[in-house]
Amino acid sequence: MATRHVIVGGGTAGLNAILAIREHDRGASEVVLVSAERPYSRMVLPYYLGRGIAEAHVFTASPARLAQLNVRTHLGRRAVGLDAAAGKLSLDDGTVVEYDDLLIATGSSAVRPAVPGADGPGVHSFWTLEQARGVVAGIREGTHVVMVGAGFIAFTILNAILALKARLSIVEIAPRILPRMVDATGARMVETWLARHGVAVRTGATLTAIEEAGGHRRLRFREGDDLAADLVIMATGIRTNLEWVNGSGVRVNRGVLVDEHLRSSVQNVYAAGDVAEGRDLVTGEPAVHAIEPTAMEHGRVAGANMAGRDVAYRGSLLMNIVEVCHLDIASFGAWEDPAAEACAAERPERFAYRKLLWRGDRLTGAMILGMADDIWTTNDVGMLKGLTQAGNGLGAWKAHLSRNPFDVKSAFIASGTTARLLPQTILGRPSLPAGLVP
Amino acid sequence: MRCELACSYMQTGTFQPARSVIRVSPFEAHTSYAPYTCTQCAEGWCMTACPVEAISISPVGAKAVLDDLCVGCKLCTIACPYGTIFYNPETRKAFKCDLCGGSPACVEVCPTAAIEYEEAETADWLGSFAAERSARHREAQLAGAEAR
Repeated sequence: MATRHVIVGGGTAGLNAILAIREHDRGASEVVLVSAERPYSRMVLPYYLGRGIAEAHVFTASPARLAQLNVRTHLGRRAVGLDAAAGKLSLDDGTVVEYDDLLIATGSSAVRPAVPGADGPGVHSFWTLEQARGVVAGIREGTHVVMVGAGFIAFTILNAILALKARLSIVEIAPRILPRMVDATGARMVETWLARHGVAVRTGATLTAIEEAGGHRRLRFREGDDLAADLVIMATGIRTNLEWVNGSGVRVNRGVLVDEHLRSSVQNVYAAGDVAEGRDLVTGEPAVHAIEPTAMEHGRVAGANMAGRDVAYRGSLLMNIVEVCHLDIASFGAWEDPAAEACAAERPERFAYRKLLWRGDRLTGAMILGMADDIWTTNDVGMLKGLTQAGNGLGAWKAHLSRNPFDVKSAFIASGTTARLLPQTILGRPSLPAGLVP
Repeated sequence: MRCELACSYMQTGTFQPARSVIRVSPFEAHTSYAPYTCTQCAEGWCMTACPVEAISISPVGAKAVLDDLCVGCKLCTIACPYGTIFYNPETRKAFKCDLCGGSPACVEVCPTAAIEYEEAETADWLGSFAAERSARHREAQLAGAEAR
């Protein structure tokens, strides 16, 4: 009998697992996809909000594509229970699906603070396609939007809101914006940049209630003036969708604990993406990296292992990039490590800032701010990722980079980083034929 | 730096080295130089990272951006560890070396023949991985041509 693989979750992790399975077995096994929603890409929802793309563009796997991949589907269904000992998955319509191995890839959901009115009319999250549709319908020219939360998720939709000519105010409970993406210097620069583009930012603001007043919203705070809004977006964090795994015997910490093969504590149950707590490439410690690249890598590695390959994953690199009004903001790895040796430099005339973090002569984290039309911004974004990912000691080039964090390219090329990176593919296969490695 | 000029002309139709996807770096106080561009790495960090599959494999084996599909999210620019995928703020699309469809201009114009172009065998494991992404490239090109 053919192996029966069950993939729970049709997001980036789940779909990449399916593709990896099919790359290896060419359709020989049974693959069943259980997904509460028709598969789409969360990454591109901001472009749908900004009207840069049509809604149809967000879908990642059409029914025809899934059929071509020989995948059976339970779309619109949610997993409600897992019996790992018996190898059975229960769905919300009473269906029981039997499996030989299963992938937990149910992602995460947006959460809102427990304040009165946070679930009221005109208050939205922006996480799922359905929620994006709600925001799309509610914003037009002149709409006053208040964004609660100034983290990565909030920042991914700032450009779209501004492109729709809405008025935008941001409130953040922490003393500064982007607390998990940039340091205090970076945050100050981004706040200056936002002010120049007409975006009001209020930090250290604790929301206490959202009241309904004649079709408008009135936000109240522990201190300071109320804020009026037509539409409120709660970008106040996410949590993993793992309730259905409770009682299954699968070990869960902050996420499902997985080994280097993306296997959980149960031999034939894997986890990938936002729900998985796997190895961090830089620190070697277990971590939940709820980011798109980790979902993709986890999915591909889990899929390859489910298809019978033996692929050990090196770990995921924390990374984020967001652009606001042509300012790129990116960070990699352990950019906030208090035990690291840090060097930083600012170029005010280019509105650019760099920070590099070192353990010994190894680059373990980096932060970069710069204009998107400055060619060295995108070039260095990639090379700093490469240096952090390669993890090799940089010897004398450490001193060079510490003196001038703006000359990344010389250090990257001269330290032979390209040759070190080429064998480091996600599935551990050589990237170029042996004789061609530079 | 003739390669940079030729490359930018192929990429954009104008001579703007800032839009070139091959870049020459000076070393040792300009006593030596190294041209640097995309290695077309087999698994394609940019290609696997793209959330809308806008990067696929062109008929000459280059990882190429399909403009009609790219939304400009920049994920590829942080996924590529070589720093060889770029972003054009005017078009709001990613761009990279596509090997000029099989006859790279940088190779043709280099006066010292420092850049060579050779077709290399790909590894066995690339079979179905590459086949699907090559097929997607062909389908997207056809769909784009029909739409236009």
